[in-house]
Amino acid sequence: MLAIDQTACDLLVADVLGFMAKPRVSDEAFNALALRLFAHQFAHNMPFQRFCHSRGKTPRVVKDWRDIPAVPINAFKDLTLSCVAPQTCDRVFMTSGTTRGDVKGSHYHPSMAVYDASMLRNFDQHVMRGLKRVRMGILFPDEHLLPNSSLAHYLGLALASFATPDSAHYLNEEGLQIDLLCDALLDAQCAGEPFFLLGASFSFVHVMDELKARGLTFKLPTDSLLLDTGGFKGQSRDVPVEAFYQQLSATFGVSAERCLNMYGMTELSSQFYDAGNHTTASVKSGPHWIRSRLVEPLTGQAVAPGERGVLAHTDLANYNSVVTILTEDVGVMQDHGFVLLGRAQGTQAKGCSLAVDAFLKASAP
Amino acid sequence: MTASDFKAGYLPGIADADVTWHRVNMGSPDAPLRVDMPLISAGQMAALAGRIRCASQAHLKTMQVSEIVRVLDVATARLLDQGDVYRQALERLLPLATGFASEMVRLNLNAYLHTFRALQLQRFVVEDFPNPKLLDEFQPRVKGGWSKAYGPDLLLHVWAGNVPALSLWSFVSGLLVKAGSIGKVSSAEPLFASLYARLLVDIEPRWSDCFAVVWWPSGGASHAEQHAFGLADVVTAYGGNAALQAMQANVPVTTRFLAHGHKLSFGVVSASALCAGTGPQLAHQLALDVARYDQQGCYSPHMVYVQRGGMVSPLEFAQYLTSSLAAVSHKLPQRGLSLEEAGQVSAWCNAYELEAVTNAHVTVMGGHAVWGTVVFSERSLPLCPGPLNRRVLVVAVDSLDDVAALVEQQRDFLQTAGVAASPEELLVLSDGLGRAGVTRVCALGAMTQPAAGWHHDGRFSLLDLVRMVDVEDSAERSGEQFTRYEI
Repeated sequence: MLAIDQTACDLLVADVLGFMAKPRVSDEAFNALALRLFAHQFAHNMPFQRFCHSRGKTPRVVKDWRDIPAVPINAFKDLTLSCVAPQTCDRVFMTSGTTRGDVKGSHYHPSMAVYDASMLRNFDQHVMRGLKRVRMGILFPDEHLLPNSSLAHYLGLALASFATPDSAHYLNEEGLQIDLLCDALLDAQCAGEPFFLLGASFSFVHVMDELKARGLTFKLPTDSLLLDTGGFKGQSRDVPVEAFYQQLSATFGVSAERCLNMYGMTELSSQFYDAGNHTTASVKSGPHWIRSRLVEPLTGQAVAPGERGVLAHTDLANYNSVVTILTEDVGVMQDHGFVLLGRAQGTQAKGCSLAVDAFLKASAP
Repeated sequence: MTASDFKAGYLPGIADADVTWHRVNMGSPDAPLRVDMPLISAGQMAALAGRIRCASQAHLKTMQVSEIVRVLDVATARLLDQGDVYRQALERLLPLATGFASEMVRLNLNAYLHTFRALQLQRFVVEDFPNPKLLDEFQPRVKGGWSKAYGPDLLLHVWAGNVPALSLWSFVSGLLVKAGSIGKVSSAEPLFASLYARLLVDIEPRWSDCFAVVWWPSGGASHAEQHAFGLADVVTAYGGNAALQAMQANVPVTTRFLAHGHKLSFGVVSASALCAGTGPQLAHQLALDVARYDQQGCYSPHMVYVQRGGMVSPLEFAQYLTSSLAAVSHKLPQRGLSLEEAGQVSAWCNAYELEAVTNAHVTVMGGHAVWGTVVFSERSLPLCPGPLNRRVLVVAVDSLDDVAALVEQQRDFLQTAGVAASPEELLVLSDGLGRAGVTRVCALGAMTQPAAGWHHDGRFSLLDLVRMVDVEDSAERSGEQFTRYEI
């Protein structure tokens, strides 16, 4: 493995930041930077290099960003995917461990400069939409409580960069601060000032349940916005998407067009947003430094247009880990983005042979 | 509703117009197959059961087993005849319904059907009844008295899965013991049993009311299932353990319930079998076992234990297996996988691929190829199921004695061990495997083709169906007092 050249590394980071700052970029420019990142990661990350060798994909043969080996997200659990020594990293974000018991994946960030720039620029465009600062309520614990949560960092960044001083977290070690939240919502409603409520999808379910029990609904002022992310992950009752946004809209008096869903992953450094959930199957799109493809999970080949596939994302902000990841999320392409169709679930064995999936279910405690 | 491509079922005494038909869309977008499944009412099911009971007493119970074998032999001959309309229907419809390649279906049907010819069927009977006449009339017992075996008047089959023609085993077993039958087909393969019933009636019109092929939606609290179970003398069912458990709850305590759960099979290769010439050959045979029906069968191998010390090393054997899997895929291509199935297979491959990055004892061969993946582990690993669809784990072991301990944790699921070992090793190894829970040992290449008269999952295919009736010696002796003449 090549010793890391700090100057070269700084230059790479500067180029990634420069790329993100451009208003628009060409396909060639995206390809060139993706290949540079791939070569950098191949040279400085031994487990990734071995993985690439096993796929027969090295910087010498890969000439198109679509050919960069997509690393399955489970690799963040099994391998140390970092070009620098993990202990020198500023932050490490860990997955919530929903798919494989208590094994957590780690995503190492040497500095937060790129992640933060990615988040801020994208958030400004898709969520703030011209607003400078707005009162926010966060339905998620803060970074001090959850230092390894990328979502806590994301929401903290939103708060620090785009929120007015009367904004606050309404979830802490003592749980949901529903009284304070109700006061804040009522306050915003009376003052006629827009209010942004952001947080985990399951936290919204808890808040709505609580408000329903109290018989409370709100009519938040124009330009207010709700942003949920992450789905329910067994942390609350499972709510069908359509019903979820109908209920959100009815509870807070915010039109479904202003109910956004953010799709992000610990394994990425950039996020995707939709343009509201007034229609079902909302289309998610990301900034110009991330590109997504739908692939057939076994062969990794692109699926035919219109076909379902598993999402692979090439995120240029993932400069230290791996630039292309293979998710377990099924989607279908649309103009300007993709529609998420959920997680690829195992199927029942068709024959009379015991299959691994059925076996795991049977042996689960 | 548009016309269907196939109407499933065989319902004697019930007009098509009196049946509610449920459309199942099978096949792929390019080659769709619309199948109508019969949904009959509780009243129709009861009437059917009554009709079959009567007919089986009148027309099956009165036939000699050898006569029944003759009818079945004609049926098999017709299904082996490429010119026969039933054979042609099977060849046309089964690939569409199951997604298996036409060539796969054609070759496997032949291999399968040849165990249902007269000679093999007689062997099948004699396996369970050394004196087959026991099924026809009271037979004298050596120590005095008489016995006769009675098949049930109504045997209910619940078939499952998409492996073509799997229903044939139990269908034929029922007929050999002269049982009237109602078979419930699976939504994944409703074709074979439906056609077979019609073929039998075509050959032997007296059997027209002796069986029926029905369907009801599986899962949930199925009233149809509960009702049907209440009508039968014996229920024989296939499926996963969860499904079987749900069924068992619906079977009356006085009804015999024979469950065939999902099973797990594997291979064992002794160092003695690994010469430069035989090693590649064995790998090819194993590749066929893996490729046939894409590992979906209960007898399909998931893992292979290969002993070190032969002329061909376990690693080399894994390499031969990989190239053989690639080679056989030209003749027997892998069925197209759904996104979910592909995801499952891919997750398995990914896990080993990542393991191989950090663990030099693991090698992945074939990668994410559609035709298959072989993972080789230099360290011994306990038996565990794979994702099917031609993914095999080859594990090196020092001694054949190690294998039993590695598989016995799966005791409840074990079925076939495909074995390549010398005559000296065979029975010693088999004894260890038998104690661990294995019920069938066969050669590599024969795993998916059980011999005629095999003990399916270690049980008796025919004996388990019958009720023995003994006329004891005392009755015979006592009868002697009541003769019209003096002795």
